[in-house]
Amino acid sequence: MIDQLLASVTDGMLVGVVYGLAAMGLTLIFGVMNVINLAHGPIMALGMFTVYLAYTSLGLNPFLGLLLAAGLGLILGVIIYWGAVHRVIDAPHLSSLLSTFSVNMIIIGIGTAIFSTSFRNVDYSLGIVTIGPITVPGTRFTSALLALGITGLLYLFLYRTRPGKYVRAVSDNRTSAGLMGIASNRVLALSFGLGTMLAALAGGLIAMALPFTILSGGSYELKSFVIVVLGGLGNPIGALLGGVILGLIEGLVPVFTKITWVPVIEFVLFVLILLVRPQGLFGAKQ
Amino acid sequence: MALLEVRDVTSGYGELQILWGASLTVERGQLTALVGSNGVGKTTLLRTIVGQIKPWQGKVFFNGQDVSKLPSYKKAEMGIVMVPEGRQLFTGMTVQENLEMGATPKRARAKAAQNLEKVFTIFPRLKERATQKSGTMSGGEQQMLAVARGIMAEPEILMIDELSLGLAPVLTLDLFQSLRRLRNEGLTIMLVEQNVRMALKVSDYAFVLREGKNEIHGPSKEVEQNASVQAAYLGI
Ligand SMILES: Nc1ncnc2c1ncn2[C@@H]1O[C@H](COP(=O)(O)OP(=O)(O)O)[C@@H](O)[C@H]1O
Ligand SMILES: [Mg+2]
Repeated sequence: MIDQLLASVTDGMLVGVVYGLAAMGLTLIFGVMNVINLAHGPIMALGMFTVYLAYTSLGLNPFLGLLLAAGLGLILGVIIYWGAVHRVIDAPHLSSLLSTFSVNMIIIGIGTAIFSTSFRNVDYSLGIVTIGPITVPGTRFTSALLALGITGLLYLFLYRTRPGKYVRAVSDNRTSAGLMGIASNRVLALSFGLGTMLAALAGGLIAMALPFTILSGGSYELKSFVIVVLGGLGNPIGALLGGVILGLIEGLVPVFTKITWVPVIEFVLFVLILLVRPQGLFGAKQ
Repeated sequence: MALLEVRDVTSGYGELQILWGASLTVERGQLTALVGSNGVGKTTLLRTIVGQIKPWQGKVFFNGQDVSKLPSYKKAEMGIVMVPEGRQLFTGMTVQENLEMGATPKRARAKAAQNLEKVFTIFPRLKERATQKSGTMSGGEQQMLAVARGIMAEPEILMIDELSLGLAPVLTLDLFQSLRRLRNEGLTIMLVEQNVRMALKVSDYAFVLREGKNEIHGPSKEVEQNASVQAAYLGI
């Protein structure tokens, strides 16, 4: 029993940081421009397919395929910003929700036409990693490390580089950023691209662990919403911690009861947090 | 040729017209004051000059060039820099980072180290607070930072909106003296103030805005002696 618990906790945490990475993309965009990106899920799915296609048709190692997924996520995000977000950025929330939802439908429509909705999986293994009494799949372990590494890089970017500081400045006070000579629109496009890049990367990592279809992004998008609410909207580290909590719930609940209870518990938690602590467990952007 | 010229500008918000043909000129190297009562449109005029809102009619010239339609970030790049009313700092960033963000225009980037030295000399308090989040400082310190951030942008003209708002009189006096010193070092400054008395004392030239138009202008010493200005703003 103890061993099983330990294994579930480890597994939950490893998966959780990857969920956290995805949620970080959502929360970054919201934090900078107050837009909720409803195309988040489909972009995760595109990340999955990028890694899958690079592996199956080009023979590219899935972890290298992640670089392609990241590039695609970034470019796509910048395009989506200029095409669908820029014009509605100061409009009421409903406008940007509808607009990113349209992008969501477009990606899913085209994706379904090209890939159908049949399951794929990336058949790649890195053997087993043993830590004391626990054994975990090597890919899962590496994925979690990578997710942490990417989070670290994001923070280095935001706090140590000039463009990263522009992102924070525009997020903090867009008007002042303009007065200081910062081209806010370009910074917003970059921020959106970074958010979708994180989504695509998380998708790519998930693709190595679980089978997926072009529609799979939807359920991960919902997880991202729960995580973002747990961690506090606009708070990237909160997203990572929220991801771990969600991962733990997914790992531990099946030990005690039926796995079908997982989403019930997740969404009850979601509603409870919204009612009791809407700023999230770990504080948030004021 | 004047450094900045505003010619018959009308502007406002949506349907609401605020400026009804405002004109002014700022000469290079001078400290020019724009005064007038609360709500008369001073901030709106500054916003129009920096390009946060577009003039409906009329033009804004900078160094003889028509800049009426440029967005604010391009104007900052040219050297038209505003210290906005209410400071508008990057409150979640440190003092140091706010100053770094000030040094964004290309022309400012090259002189960033030198300007940092300069603002730390003028406002030693900021040096002590370099790693503090700007939003957690006192009102006076925040105002110093707002001015310092503007100086970091290496302005050709620095336009300061309501320097004295919400500050203790002693501190206000200090800040006005700092401005005077900057002006003596060659910086062109436009000062927008509700505190008419102080603004006229410290400035070289003054414009009085009333009902969205300029009413009176002249050397500050003369404006100070103007009977209607004395009656309306100086309580004499
Ligand atoms: N964003 C805005 N939208 C609508 N009206 C505004 C806005 N900002 C200012 N006003 C109005 O414009 C008028 C002039 O304001 P302002 O330019 O701030 O005056 P001042 O700076 O001289 O005190 C005021 O009546 C104010 O209520
Ligand atoms: Mg004002």
